[in-house]
Amino acid sequence: MKVVVPRELAAGETRVAATPRTVKRMDRAGLSVQVESGAGVGSGITDTEFRESGAEIVGDRAALFSGAEIVLSVNPPDAETVDQIPAGAVLVATLNPMIEKDLVLRLANQGVSAFSLDMVPRIARAQSMDVLSSMSTLSGYQAVLLASMAMPGIMPYLTTAAGTLHPAKVLVLGAGVAGLQAIATARRLGALVWGYDIRPVVKEQVESLGAEFLELIDTTTEAEDAGGYAREQSEDQAARQQQAMTAHLAQMDAVITTALIPGRPAPTLLTSEMVSAMKSGSVIVDLAAERGGNCELTRPGQNFTSDHGVTILGPLDIPRSVPAHASLMYANNVANFLLHVCRDGQIDVESDDEVAVGTLVTSGGRVVHERIIEVLEIPGN
Amino acid sequence: MHVIAELVPMTTEWLYLAAAVLFIVGIRDLSSAETARRGNMLAAVGMVLAILGTMQHGLIVKWEWIAVGMVAGGVIGLLMAVFMPMTAMPERIAIVNGLGGAASGLVGICEVIRHVISPSEGATAADFNAFHVGVAGLEIMLGALTFTGSMVAFGKLRGLVSSKPLTYPGQNVVNVLWLVVMMGLIAGLVMAKLDPMFFFVLAAMALLFGVMFVLPIGGADMPVVIAMLNAYSGLAAAATGFVLSNKVLIIAGALDGSSGLLLSLLMCRAMNRSLTNVLFGAVGGGTAVATGDGELQGDPQTISTVEAAERLFDARRVIVVPGYGMAAAGAHFAIREMADVLKERGISVKYAIHPVAGRMPGHMNVLLADANVPYDDLVEMDEINPEFAEADVALVMGANDICNPAARTAEGSPIYGMPILDVDQAAQVIVIKRSMSPGFAGISNELFVAPNCAMLFGDGKQVAEQLVETLSL
Repeated sequence: MKVVVPRELAAGETRVAATPRTVKRMDRAGLSVQVESGAGVGSGITDTEFRESGAEIVGDRAALFSGAEIVLSVNPPDAETVDQIPAGAVLVATLNPMIEKDLVLRLANQGVSAFSLDMVPRIARAQSMDVLSSMSTLSGYQAVLLASMAMPGIMPYLTTAAGTLHPAKVLVLGAGVAGLQAIATARRLGALVWGYDIRPVVKEQVESLGAEFLELIDTTTEAEDAGGYAREQSEDQAARQQQAMTAHLAQMDAVITTALIPGRPAPTLLTSEMVSAMKSGSVIVDLAAERGGNCELTRPGQNFTSDHGVTILGPLDIPRSVPAHASLMYANNVANFLLHVCRDGQIDVESDDEVAVGTLVTSGGRVVHERIIEVLEIPGN
Repeated sequence: MHVIAELVPMTTEWLYLAAAVLFIVGIRDLSSAETARRGNMLAAVGMVLAILGTMQHGLIVKWEWIAVGMVAGGVIGLLMAVFMPMTAMPERIAIVNGLGGAASGLVGICEVIRHVISPSEGATAADFNAFHVGVAGLEIMLGALTFTGSMVAFGKLRGLVSSKPLTYPGQNVVNVLWLVVMMGLIAGLVMAKLDPMFFFVLAAMALLFGVMFVLPIGGADMPVVIAMLNAYSGLAAAATGFVLSNKVLIIAGALDGSSGLLLSLLMCRAMNRSLTNVLFGAVGGGTAVATGDGELQGDPQTISTVEAAERLFDARRVIVVPGYGMAAAGAHFAIREMADVLKERGISVKYAIHPVAGRMPGHMNVLLADANVPYDDLVEMDEINPEFAEADVALVMGANDICNPAARTAEGSPIYGMPILDVDQAAQVIVIKRSMSPGFAGISNELFVAPNCAMLFGDGKQVAEQLVETLSL
């Protein structure tokens, strides 16, 4: 089967959906890989390196897509690209399908069988295909570095002849993959770290990294759903949480927020009132900026300092800033997924394999994923 | 049954009342360790009073059979109490329960024969109205199935019957239908005045049902089953009480029935499984068997810290397998110290890092780096897997799912298909864990009962520190 890896067109994108190593893996599995010229430049991978690993380099995009049977992509393809994908071809990408209705319908109309890796079921077997986990790991780590560079001081505890530098106090809100990695990184830099999550089961995980779990309210209601995601809180719960947290916020040098709810806007964890309780010189890194932000004051894509000295960072697409590893992990997720659904050189879109079913969004001219049909309110297919 | 009522003297009624009170207080006392002994004695005294009360029953005409029964029963009970060890308690309870059920069932059959099949002056069919037919039917059914069910349970506990669940497709449907037919028979006997011979058909069906019901339940779940059968025999006793118009039987039976059911539910909750899963779960593609859901074939061997230290001391190649448990215990520093001591002796120590060990990517790396374990000592899964076969000791530190062989073969398992560390290939596996509780995937681990595996139970940090101390001597 002909696998194509086009260059990512999204402005500022540095990643690519394949690496020389994954090209070799696909080649060994009997797939023939074509890579668009310059696709790996952002990640430091040259055309030569791709060629040496067994891929064919194609300069013309139209020629690339013609006859393509599998298309690999990091970002959701734009309208023009979708139209170039042959009907019946398979697309493996991260589509954000619960929100991107137009894209989903366009892919369906084009007759593309689209797998969206952000929908991979969170089961043990599929961990090697989980792009959200991969990218969150990188974001969590980077968030701490961004915070440390924006802070007026350094993180660790140093007793010196020129005075004692007290350790920075860092609070991480949300202890999922990104949050835990942020906790670990802040600890490595020597800060005093607290972690908080509305799911009390996470307490042990936070402590296993040497951080303290912030005890706020006794959350007895079910805060965790079947996929291990946090449920949206009731208004009352949220209000009590905010009140209790404000006292702690006043002591922090950095607050990193990572709370996301699948398919919904990010929950507000820091109101402007709470931010005004924080000390001058402190930093907020809002990892949920691309979904509206966990902080009311966040300006997605911008960094600024508030009137009373709190610096608020709203970074978008953090993985792009570490393209070598971001591409390495993403390409591995893609290859692991592809080699899982590809049997004897064929992809069975009708397969009832749990991973395939959970990830397939469109096929045979219609939207097939039940949850997406529900969320996007697609009329009877 | 007003005729019988006149034959019951007042002393009997008082004794029955006292017995009932003692039964209730006795069971209440059984719910706490401090009062349990007392509760047992009180209930036993209550039983003696109940027997004394019954012996004054007007219907008793001959004493020979009663004496034989009392002596035989007393002797058997005494022998069991003295000679059966405490570890055989579940088997003992299974027998006793079964015989209790048999007794109820036999009383039911007796009453049917007396009143319906061969009525005589003292007991006519007129005395046996629809209500009595109904409860007699229930009594026979419950008594019979409790008897055979308990005997099968005894067999499974003793290893006389395979402790694996014995299932076949559609089993639950067959069992339900069987039950429906039996209830239908009872209804027929009550309302359609079926030939009394059908009581015997009912008894035969119930005897079979007891077997059919218990066979598909795994040996490890027998305690729950016995508690349920206890409840059924209680119901049988209550039904007997209604047939004989005997108040203390009704009370005792009801106590037995409800406490048995509650106990089953509590036990299931402690195992983190539902009652329906325990009773009916094994049927259905045999997935529960394959995943070993809560049920391991065999008991794990345990090892002490000193013995573990000896194995490590004598080893040439050791592979440490860290997991979330090591992180939660904060044992990584002690483990590194232990590795240092071993390396000084020329023993090679490597750490096998599974891609999803811990609760976040790189969890083990972060902690081991923190503990100053050289990066070179950490080896990723694909590289280290072939080396397990040459390792003398694989030391599993709080890891579970990532070395569970079920991932290779058990198709219904939640971890099926996930690549694992081939820990079972090592000559000796030592698992440091707090208990036999399952890991993140919630399933039991066959590795723990493998012949080359020994469990070192304890807190990870403390055990590791003790190992350091012992090895440094």
